[in-house]
Amino acid sequence: MSLLTVNNLSSGYGKKQILEDISFSLEAGTLCGIIGANGSGKTTLIKAIGGILPRNGECLIEDKNLSLLSKRDLAKLISMVPQKSGISIDMSVLDVVLMGFNPYLGLLQQPTSDMKVKAARILECLGLTDRIEDNYLHLSEGQKQLCIIARSMITDSKLVIMDEPESALDYSIRYNVMDTIKSTIKDSNRCLLASLHDVNLALNYCDKLLLIKDKCILDIVDLHADSLDVIESKLRKIYGAISVHKIATKSNTEQLIMLKDMEA
Amino acid sequence: MRHSTDSATARLLRTNWIYFLVGGVLLCALFCMSLFIGKYPLTIDGLLSGNDLQWRVFKTLRLSRTLAGCFGGFALAIAGYIYQTVFRNSLASPDIIGVSSGASAGAAVGILFLGSSVAITLCSFGGAILAVILALAFASIDKSGHKSTVVLAGIAVHSIAQTILMCLKLTADPEKELASIEYWIMGSLNNISSHSMIGNLILCAICVILSCLLHRQTLLLSADEGEAQMLGVNVATTRLIVLALATIMVASIVSMTGLISFVGLVAPHCAKKLTGNNKLSTMLLAGIIGGCLLTAADILARSIAATELPVSIFTSLIGAPFLIYLIAGGKQKL
Repeated sequence: MSLLTVNNLSSGYGKKQILEDISFSLEAGTLCGIIGANGSGKTTLIKAIGGILPRNGECLIEDKNLSLLSKRDLAKLISMVPQKSGISIDMSVLDVVLMGFNPYLGLLQQPTSDMKVKAARILECLGLTDRIEDNYLHLSEGQKQLCIIARSMITDSKLVIMDEPESALDYSIRYNVMDTIKSTIKDSNRCLLASLHDVNLALNYCDKLLLIKDKCILDIVDLHADSLDVIESKLRKIYGAISVHKIATKSNTEQLIMLKDMEA
Repeated sequence: MRHSTDSATARLLRTNWIYFLVGGVLLCALFCMSLFIGKYPLTIDGLLSGNDLQWRVFKTLRLSRTLAGCFGGFALAIAGYIYQTVFRNSLASPDIIGVSSGASAGAAVGILFLGSSVAITLCSFGGAILAVILALAFASIDKSGHKSTVVLAGIAVHSIAQTILMCLKLTADPEKELASIEYWIMGSLNNISSHSMIGNLILCAICVILSCLLHRQTLLLSADEGEAQMLGVNVATTRLIVLALATIMVASIVSMTGLISFVGLVAPHCAKKLTGNNKLSTMLLAGIIGGCLLTAADILARSIAATELPVSIFTSLIGAPFLIYLIAGGKQKL
């Protein structure tokens, strides 16, 4: 059974439709990247599934219709990393991460000490142990993003949706963070849906890629089933003259890499 | 891991504890000073010897005035903290959703058409609440639920209330009624008596307790609306409850005292500068600073000149330099 099923979804801002007739499904333990040009509707898809934007069509998580759930129940099923967090008041890093437990706390309840330990543990995994009591606003943009990623990973939500989680992270950290995200998603049999600008990152960490163009899903890349030529031809629909190669690193692991064909 | 988290929290609690101690001692000292300073000076000897007049002044005027100063400042600061957090605007104050201007217009109606001090208190309370209901009703027309809509609706209600106030002033007798309206707008703790304030203080205390219990929700509202929603917050309902509590606090205080400027703005800033965070302790510290500020201002207002001066002059005079001192980096020297 699919963990996430999206049927005939359309969404937009006001009367302007950004996405039309989107349908796909994801199995548990899948990392799915959303790939497309700027303004193609990646963020809109994330927000529509998360219930932040109004939508038509059907979204199901394990047969639960998301439109029928309360905000609280929805937050238990889906956790989200926005492109940029709107937190603009002085708060400790720990308090920001503990916000992730809100759906599991009563209106007047405070986070328990076990929740604090869990928050500290995930911050350690993401390399923020020494900043735990620091002011969130004093962190670099990359560290803020790590903190929000930690908040989204802290609970057992079935689906994690991320809007360009790698955008503020430097080269080495983005690979470390994607390693952590991948192992967490796989180990807990959850599902990740993330819009990504870095195609090479998507090619090497995702199981599936949704290619979005002209308001709809142009194609779906299955990185385990599709051959290199098929992957390349599908990505060409978005990026034009490109080539995809499989190369071996010095540690003898194979990686996919997309290169833009430059004129001589 | 538990040890490192706990020790960091313990460090923070120790630092906050010092601020609470200093603030608490200062508030107690000001409370005692306020009981004995005034046009009719009271003495401990006089009270202990059972002097009838001194006891009457103490019970009917001085104690209620002092309680109103301490608790009023505390509540105004807590309300200011909530407005600043929810609207993510460091300049947010009760006026941002028209509370103060609604209270002023209500008080003017009370002064012109009813006259008694109880009626003026009830009218200003009603005016403040009506202004917020109107602001929220206007805001609900826009289904998007953006917090900027509430602010814009508040500005509209503020303008309407100011227009009503101007019209009422035009019809007022310049010698008595107009002077009363102006004096009310400038704020004073002069006419507060124990029987007139008890209901307001109880209502205010309930709202303060509920606001403390909802502090975590208030912080969640400071995130983007979509982000708060994805964290399981029912943004529109929670914001309505939190703002309603803050507004009732302000309405119950300003309906007794008239407009008190600057306490709701400066006290939360001072607390945030001192603690560097927005924990529940910061909100309570803001309340203590607010209590100190209003009590000190009231002591000065009644003792510095032959006639009693508006208390808002002194809340600004004391609060502004302290805030500037903190902004300039004085926190490290405290």
